Order: sequence, then C-alpha cells, then structure tokens
Amino acid sequence: MAMNRRKLAILIVGLLATAAVAGTAGASRTSTPGVTSKQITIGGTFPFTGPASLYKTIPAAELAFYKYVNAKYHGVHGRKINDIALDDGYNPAQTVPDVKKLVEQDHVFAIVGSLGTAPGLSTWGYLNQHKVPQVLLATGDAYWGNCVHHACQGGTKPWTMGWQPDYPGEAKLYAKYILKHKNNAKIGVLYQNDAFGKNYLAGLKTGLGAHKGDIVDAESYSVTDPGPVIQAHVGKIAASGANVFVIFATPTAAITALATEGHIPGWNPLTINSNVSANRLFMGLAAQNGANVNGVLSTTYVASQSAQPNLPGMKLAKKIIHKYAPNGVGTLDGQFATGDNNLVYGLAVGWTFWDALKHAGKNPTRAGLMHALRHMNEKNNPFIYPGMVVKTSNKRTFPMEQLIFEKWAGGGAGDWKTFGKVLNSGH
Amino acid sequence: MKRQIPALGSLLVVAAVLCLLPFILSDYDVSLAAQVGIFFIAVLGLNILTGYTGQISIGHGAFMMIGGYTTAVMSRDHGTNLVVTMLMAFAICFVVGLLVGLPALRLSGVYLALVTFALAVSLPYIPLQYSTFLGGSGGVQSAQTVSNLWVYTAAWACSAVLFVLAWLILRGRTGRAFRAVRDSEIAAVASGVELPVYKTLAFGISAAYAGVAGSLFVLAANGFAQPSEFDIFLSLQILIGAAVAGLGSLWGILIGAAFVGLLPQVSTSIPLIGAQHGRDVVFGAAVILIMLLLPDGFAGLLARLRRPTRARA
Repeated sequence: MAMNRRKLAILIVGLLATAAVAGTAGASRTSTPGVTSKQITIGGTFPFTGPASLYKTIPAAELAFYKYVNAKYHGVHGRKINDIALDDGYNPAQTVPDVKKLVEQDHVFAIVGSLGTAPGLSTWGYLNQHKVPQVLLATGDAYWGNCVHHACQGGTKPWTMGWQPDYPGEAKLYAKYILKHKNNAKIGVLYQNDAFGKNYLAGLKTGLGAHKGDIVDAESYSVTDPGPVIQAHVGKIAASGANVFVIFATPTAAITALATEGHIPGWNPLTINSNVSANRLFMGLAAQNGANVNGVLSTTYVASQSAQPNLPGMKLAKKIIHKYAPNGVGTLDGQFATGDNNLVYGLAVGWTFWDALKHAGKNPTRAGLMHALRHMNEKNNPFIYPGMVVKTSNKRTFPMEQLIFEKWAGGGAGDWKTFGKVLNSGH
Repeated sequence: MKRQIPALGSLLVVAAVLCLLPFILSDYDVSLAAQVGIFFIAVLGLNILTGYTGQISIGHGAFMMIGGYTTAVMSRDHGTNLVVTMLMAFAICFVVGLLVGLPALRLSGVYLALVTFALAVSLPYIPLQYSTFLGGSGGVQSAQTVSNLWVYTAAWACSAVLFVLAWLILRGRTGRAFRAVRDSEIAAVASGVELPVYKTLAFGISAAYAGVAGSLFVLAANGFAQPSEFDIFLSLQILIGAAVAGLGSLWGILIGAAFVGLLPQVSTSIPLIGAQHGRDVVFGAAVILIMLLLPDGFAGLLARLRRPTRARA
C-alpha cells in the first residue's frame, strides 16, 4: 500500500504539471475562430451513409467548388476555404457530436450547408447560443426563415439560415395547381413523419384552404422504414381512390413510392414528387424499378445540366465537377452525366457562400458573415435557374423564394421539362 | 464490488484523475469525457440487471429516453432546477422500470429480451403522437443549458454516488438475493427469496440508473431531446458497453463506457468508411472479438491477470 501511495503522489504531481502547461498553452487565441491569415475553415454535416445517402453528392460538389475557388481565385481575400464535411448518416444523435466537434475542436468559422431538417433542429439551439453561423442549410423547412425574428424553441434563431425555397411555399404551389387542373380531386399524400414531411403537409393544407377535405388519405412513414412499409402505404393510398398522389419524401422512399405506383394496375393518378427527390437520377432509378414516370410533376430552382447543357453555368459546372471532384479528377463525371442535379445544387450553395464571404470583408467575423448573408442580392449565381435571384434583407429571411414547374417526359431515359413562368413561392 | 470495496487505491486513483482531467483537457475533450461518464452510469445500471440478476435487457435506451425527456420537458415548462429534474428522472424511471419488470416474472431469456427490445423500438414514436406536450419530431428544447464542464462534473458526481449506491445494494441481502435469482431461480425460491419482488426491483433500479444517464445525455446535447436521438442503436450501445465491461469491476465498466462513449466520436474521423459505417463495423467486430476472446468482458480479463500475481505473492 505504501508503494501505491507513492505512485499515486507521483501521478498527481505529474498531472498537475501537465495541467499547468496545458493552461498556459491555451491562453493564446485568435479573435475569430476558424480564420487565419491563410485560411478559413468551415464545416458541415451530411448523410454520406444511411437512409438519405443519395444526397451525398451535395457535399462533394461543395468541396469541388471550394477547391475551384481556391485554385482559381486564391479563395477569398487571399484566404483559402477549407471545408470539413462530416458524416451524420441523417441521424440527429450523430449530428450533435459532429457539430460539437466542428465547433469546439476544429474551431470552424461557420457551419455551412448542413443537410436535413431533424439534424438541423438538433443543433440550432446550440449553434445560436454559441453565436456560430448555421447557414445555407440543405433543408427547406420554414423554421430557418421564420425563427429569425420570432422565438422558436426557447428563443430567436438569428444565426440560422436556409437557402432553398421553403417547403410550405412549394407545397402551396402544388395545391394551387391541383385546384386549377383537377376537378373533384381526391388527394393521397405520402409524407415523412418528421418536421420535414409535416412542413410540406401543412403547406399543402394551407394551399388547399376550403378544399382541405380533398385529402382523402395522408400516410406517414419513418425515414428508417424498409421498402415494404412504403409499399404498403402506397397501396393504401391507391385503395382510398385517390386520383392525385403527392409524395413528400426523401429520395429512397420517393423512388420506392413511384415504383410501387407503377405496379398497381389501373391506378394512374396525377403524381407530384416534391423537389427534394426530383433529381433526374432518382427518376431514372424509379423508372428502372417499374415507375410510370411520364407526366410526374415537380418544381425546380437550380439549372439542369441535362436539360440546359448550353447554359454558361452548366458548362462551368461540368468543368468544375470534372477537375475538382474531391476523390480525384473525373470521379464524378458519370454522376454528373446521368443528371444528378444535386451536384448543381451543391455548386450553387458553394457559390452563394463564396459570394457572401467576399461581402463579409477583408477581416471576416461571424457577425460580419451573417450581415453579408442577410443583405444578398445575387442575380448572377450561374448555377440557379435562369432568371431567379438569391435575395435577402432583414425582413426577407428566405434567400430563395422562386420556383418553376416541371413535368417529366420521355420515359426512363427522359428528362424534366419546365413549363410556365417563374413563380413566387415566398410568404 | 463483489466482496469488498474494490481496492480503495484504484478508486482513489480514478477519482483523482477525474478531478484533474478538466484542467488538462480541452473543452471539447471534456465533453467526450462527460459522454464516458454518462455511459458509465447506464452500463453500471445494466450490470445490476444483467450481470447480477441474469435478466437481459436490450431496451435500456428507452429508459434513457424517458429520463432525457423528463429533464427537457420539466426545464422547458417549469424551468425546474436541472439537478431536481435528474432526481425526477431517477424516480420516474424507477417506477417505469418496476412496471416493465412485470413481464420478467413470466418471461425469461430471449423472450424477455424481445419485450425490452419492443419497448426501445416503439417508445420513440410516442412523442410523435403527443406532439404538443413532447415536441413531436421537432424535439424539446430545455429552458436552461449547461457547459461541457457542468455535464462532466454532474456525470461523474452521479457516477460516484450511483457506484457507491450499487455497492451498498449488492453487498448485502438484496445483492445476495439478486445473485441467487441469477444462478438458479428454483433454488432461490426454495431459500425464501421472493422472486417477483427481486426481479422487478432489479429492473427498477437498473432503469432508474438509465434514466439519470438519459437526463445527462440530453443535457450534453445542449438540452435538446428528439426521438431520433434515442434509436435502437443507443440501447445496443449500452448492451455492448456492458458486454465489454464484464461483471462487477470498476475498471471493466470504465473501459466499457469509454468504448461505447468515445467510439462514435472517434469514428467520425475515419475518412473512407465514414461515421455510421465505421461505427457499425467497429462495434460489430468488437462484440464478436470480445465474445470470442473475453467471454467475461474486461472484468474477466483483469481477474485472470490478477490471479497469477497473487499466487506468486
């Protein structure tokens, strides 16, 4: 025991000494986290794996865009953009430690482009409390814009901001379309049973107004549900006699739903697939699995590399994706060629961040970045749909408020065709 | 833990190191050390149930969820002192644990495991049903939030208190009854052990521990409780922690808790496989390896290592 005590004493002395050294080492700190004279470090969380992993090309495109900007323009004001993209598998339980690691260990300047409603909600309290920008989120929930000035979940969220058109606004447009084009509509809805799906459903109901009762069946599924569960829900919707089928689902479930619909004999509803799953690649996959994709309706807000290949922005996109793909030159070419529109989405978000960072000044601060993001007027983002604009002000808290309808034609190898005017989806 | 206080020396060493860690570690690493403390409590609780009473639960994540929501909701609605919410989590989960323990009177082994599994799978859907009170899928944000150091201190202070409590319970009459139930129910009944009382009691105590862990788990997530934080994987994490820990050793539980508490964080840095795959692969492989090589967990290993030295001395 005497021996043990001596060891213990040595251990304690040793630990104290280390503590003292660590204490002094921690004393020197720069003013803005993540910003050095040569580099700006940002971070984000994305589903590289798990039920929403079809979205993993979004961070890939963002990384490619920052590589391009770093190579061609030396980043922003001489600082290169370093983006740390972590995998959270679309699971908030993993998002929390990921974001804590990014903020507390990697000392990122901002969380940029993180994907998913539930993951975003699980960390916005934390990020707003620590005044860390949580911006250009890859989710269209109304929260991201509505809670800037109004308290949500214990306070306002001025450090949080989305990017894409919000889900309720999009759903309202579908409601308008249904009311105009479908007499005696009987609407069946498949939605994800979380904030994401419910945001959409609420928007659809608001848009239908007095015709809310036209929704004959609303089936919800959980993001981790296997295919047969989705199939059962679609079967129920078909049995309810619906002649309009609205899908508010993440890609894997949406593909399954479309394919299931194709296999139900005699059921040919007007099908609406929300734009989060309207990627051309996903439509192709659905067609391969038996979906009748012709005539499916959706909306878009980014340009299409397959339908508009001659736009300067799409030519640039092709070049960037080819040359700066994170896993090496050319590794994403095939993905780009099949029409994975999320690559264009990622580039567009990267472009907005780059633009905001330029406006945040030579010595960017977190508050300065937020100010720049809240005062954008981006007419020249080459990757968004021609004629649309990314615009914010203290009052306008949703950066994108425009959409255009699109309809699928040409079967499995076909494509979206936009029609009508650019519409306002805002509040 | 079984017969005497585990070598007072090692207890002191652990306590001293834990007191000093916050001075050495960065704020982020303190949050990791707090995670270990949280899983220490949960694994300790499961150890009482599975290790000492021989009843398997693969649904302890459910009790953590109840504890976590208790804290989040009480703080949101009443601004209750967080320590009080932790005590409430302990009490509520104790009662729920007793109730869940009732099927244990009729079921055993794999059937009981399935009941607890069903509980863990179904419970996360409850908030979706009662979304005004429990926040739905949007989650519940507590009114108060705390620093990493607060969670760390609370987690390890609770660990210490609950460890001593476990020791007090297990060394006496109750502990003997628990072990008797584990070794042979028939023999236990024959010796006058009231089976229903002790089986449900073990469930209650174990659930109460998980409840405290869940309360801290939510506080570590900045006071935010959301159904998907408490998926079935959390239950498996606790079970794996207990398997790695083995029976009745402080060091074993520490290693088990560190394993399941740190791995998800560490695996995010594995570049190619990514967090989810990395975590699943490493957990799966570790469980197989430990079951093959260390059927009694690290506690068994430590006991084996200790024996020859004692023989020599």
